[in-house]
Amino acid sequence: MRAHCLAAVLAAAATAHAARVDVQVQDAAGNPLAGAVAYLDSAAAKMAARTRPGVEIEQKGKQFAPAVTVVPVGSQIHFPNRDKVRHHVFSFSKAKTFELKLYAGTPANPVPFEQPGVVVLGCNIHDNMVAWVLVVETPWYGQTNALGQLNLPDVPAGSYSLQVWHADLPPGTPPVTQPLVVTADGARAVVRLAGAR
Amino acid sequence: MLRLPRQWRTRLSARFVAVSLGLLLAVQLAGFTAIRANIDQAARANLADELQRGAVVWDDMLAHQAQQIGLAGRMAARDYGFQSTLFLQDADEETVASALETLVGRMDAEISAFVAIDGSVRGIIAGEADEAEVRALAAAMAAGKGERRVQVLGGRPYHLVSAEILAPVRRGWLLIGYPIDDALLQRLTALAGLHVAIVAPVGGQRQVVLASMPLADETRRALALGHEAGRHAGTQELLVDGDAVLVRREALGQTEAVLMRSVAEAVAPYRNLQWVLAAITALGVLVFGIGTGLSARRVTTPLRSLARGAERLGRGDYDQPMAHQSREDEIGELARAFDHMRVGIAEREAQVHELAYFDKLTGLPNRASFSASVQSAIDDCDITRCAIVMLNLNRFKPVNDALGYRLGDRLLKAVAGRLLEQVMRDGDQVCRLGSDEFALMLPESGEEQALATAQRVARAFELPLRLDDQTVDLSAAFGIACWPLHAEDADHLLSRAEIAMHEAKRRTELAMVYESAMDPDSSTTLSLLSELKRAIERDELRLFLQPKFALDGRMLGAEALVRWQHPVRGMVPPLAFIPFAEKTGFVRQLTTWIFDDAARQWPAMAAAGLHRVSVNLSARDLMDLGLPERLDLILAQRGVPATAFCLEITESAIMDDPARALNTLNALKARGFKLSIDDFGEGYTSLQHLRHLPVDELKVDGIFVKKMDQVPQDENVVRSVVDLAHNLGLSVVAEGVENAEVWRRLAAMGCDEAQGFFMCRPLPAAELGAFAALWAAERHLRVPVPGPEAVPARRPAAAPESTSA
Repeated sequence: MRAHCLAAVLAAAATAHAARVDVQVQDAAGNPLAGAVAYLDSAAAKMAARTRPGVEIEQKGKQFAPAVTVVPVGSQIHFPNRDKVRHHVFSFSKAKTFELKLYAGTPANPVPFEQPGVVVLGCNIHDNMVAWVLVVETPWYGQTNALGQLNLPDVPAGSYSLQVWHADLPPGTPPVTQPLVVTADGARAVVRLAGAR
Repeated sequence: MLRLPRQWRTRLSARFVAVSLGLLLAVQLAGFTAIRANIDQAARANLADELQRGAVVWDDMLAHQAQQIGLAGRMAARDYGFQSTLFLQDADEETVASALETLVGRMDAEISAFVAIDGSVRGIIAGEADEAEVRALAAAMAAGKGERRVQVLGGRPYHLVSAEILAPVRRGWLLIGYPIDDALLQRLTALAGLHVAIVAPVGGQRQVVLASMPLADETRRALALGHEAGRHAGTQELLVDGDAVLVRREALGQTEAVLMRSVAEAVAPYRNLQWVLAAITALGVLVFGIGTGLSARRVTTPLRSLARGAERLGRGDYDQPMAHQSREDEIGELARAFDHMRVGIAEREAQVHELAYFDKLTGLPNRASFSASVQSAIDDCDITRCAIVMLNLNRFKPVNDALGYRLGDRLLKAVAGRLLEQVMRDGDQVCRLGSDEFALMLPESGEEQALATAQRVARAFELPLRLDDQTVDLSAAFGIACWPLHAEDADHLLSRAEIAMHEAKRRTELAMVYESAMDPDSSTTLSLLSELKRAIERDELRLFLQPKFALDGRMLGAEALVRWQHPVRGMVPPLAFIPFAEKTGFVRQLTTWIFDDAARQWPAMAAAGLHRVSVNLSARDLMDLGLPERLDLILAQRGVPATAFCLEITESAIMDDPARALNTLNALKARGFKLSIDDFGEGYTSLQHLRHLPVDELKVDGIFVKKMDQVPQDENVVRSVVDLAHNLGLSVVAEGVENAEVWRRLAAMGCDEAQGFFMCRPLPAAELGAFAALWAAERHLRVPVPGPEAVPARRPAAAPESTSA
């Protein structure tokens, strides 16, 4: 979280005018959609992006936790195994293809995520274990709360592409994109994910 | 309809058998038909059920297969190594295809394809199917979800299932295709007892692509067409290779499975049952037929034997007793009744025979029996001739009347006895023909032997017969006829012997042999009749006239007579054909001819001075109700008044049927004819009767007139008649005047007219005029007349004869 704050500070420093962006995400029926990932892409954002250290996706109770993790490009993620059984974590996703063969405890090296995109993680032993890692090139990202809302503070004014994604979207579905202009007063956006269940 | 030979159809036993078998068969047939209809209905209903169950099994089998394929597919799709191959190396399609091939090999599948999450096909194993087709199908199925299909690829049906590849979320689809092969169909056949055919569009046309049994082309077409006919639901009946087959179609997309069940197979067990029933029926018919036949024979065999017995009775064979009399049943009753009848008939026939062929009184054969004996003698080839002697006792009736019937009968018996004594030879026969007539048959005898026999019998009769204390003299007249001389058969022979016998009696001879002259019915007579008929046609008859005179000498009229100018025999005298004509009835034609000819010649007669012409009517004419009209017609045609005619009728002709004669006479009288009674005195006309007859004249019979100058009694008779006639207001004509003395006496008696050879013989009509002229000149020379001065002046034709009041 510190990195997060730092990024925010840096961002605020880079742009004199920073404002808050409110994103409201709805499902196909117009109901608030919690857990949706939203982020703002732009050239500037790409420049402003910094890796996030110490990110961890633990395996506990034959589940990945958290299920959805958003990291900027270049971040490294640790996969500590807190179960007694072994896991075989793998990803066939284009953004990051890897496998951590049957192991217990925390593997020695964290896994770096160098390319932006959606990475689906699975366990070869346990079919029902699934987790997603969203690799983004921006410091302004977050997940909607139970009300489907996400506040991104200190977003410099400028033109962005608002990307919204949810794990419930059909596999292989790219994030929903819509342009967003952030003024000194910030910006508001409502995004409907027609594909989300 | 079966046509039995006639003899069979008419047999009672055959009818029994036919009727009972017919009924049995009708019942069986009705049952059979009902059962058959029920079986068919039930079988078809069953079949529909079976097909429905079969459809469930089929669906289940496919679902099961799909489940297995899906399971296998999911398993494979989860395999990490497999997933690694699909996803790790980036899009190396050949490697993917080789991985798929391994998978297909492991799963015994034939088709497989990997479709990535973006819908692109990244690897494909098409087996024998077309790769592009499989590729398109895989993409299409991936676009859906969890889909399975039955589709024909490369001409073969496949069961295709698409499984998601989860790694761990969906990253693509794995298509797996199993062939639907004969093994699957055979399994359905084994499980459900059905046959199945897969019908699918191939190259734009529906075809049967697989079937659990060999099918003819025609059947394939029929099965393929069914779909187009829009019969998806329910069942349908088709003819498959000549058998009725019930089908049910189960669609799987464009493909359909046609489930089939043969009606014949389904019905087969029942058919066996029907065969068993048929066999039972056949056996029943046999047993029934034999049973009925046997029981019918028990009735008909004795019936036939009784029928033969009855036939024997019919033939007159009464000796053999009826069979089956000992039976207790109806047949026995019938047989006993028949036998009773047999005995009764035999007795009665013996009696009847006795009555029919024998004379009860004398015990001799009767006429019928005798006639038969004569005929059988004639028919006997060994007999060359045969004589019949017939005899009639003289004076039997007075003897019988005098002595009484009882003695008469004894007399006849005695005659029979004497006749039998005189018949010595074998084969000779004596019979009694009737009251006092007897006959003898003498085979191999001629006229001489017959005459000798007659004389022998006559001599035997000379011995007087004593009956009680009476003595009777016997005598008889004998008639003889011989075969083959006088007749060809028994009846004629007998009748000719009888004619000869009557002739003998008439001539008071002892015995006469038949001659054809004795017989009015002989062939000579018949030819005479036809000749007589021809005589009229050929105009051979001649009218003769015998003048009639008043006794003062005037010629008043004439009697018309007929003569026959025969082309061969010359002039035939009236006695040669008139009696014959009277006997045969031909006399009516003769009368008509005479009347007509007289009418024709009347003008000449009137010119000669005649007042009236007389025509004789016979008894037959009088009986003819049409006579008056016939005469009317002739009078009208000839233009002659009835008063010109006098009609002469004999007493006997009137007495035949007086009432009818009176009718005719009255009719004639009313027309103006003068009526005269001819030959008066010969018959028995009663005076009472005479009084009522509408006659004008009596004509005294010539036999009294002829000799009245010599026989005083005759003269008295004539005088009496003249007086009688005058007293009754009638005139009198005397015929047969043959000399002047008679003429004088008649004139003295006051007789009105006379006719006879003395004055004139009958003349040809043409000669009358000449005679009249001559007579007028010479009459005082010919007849003793008072003198010309006493002769009244000639008066007109009307009623010249002044009858004495």
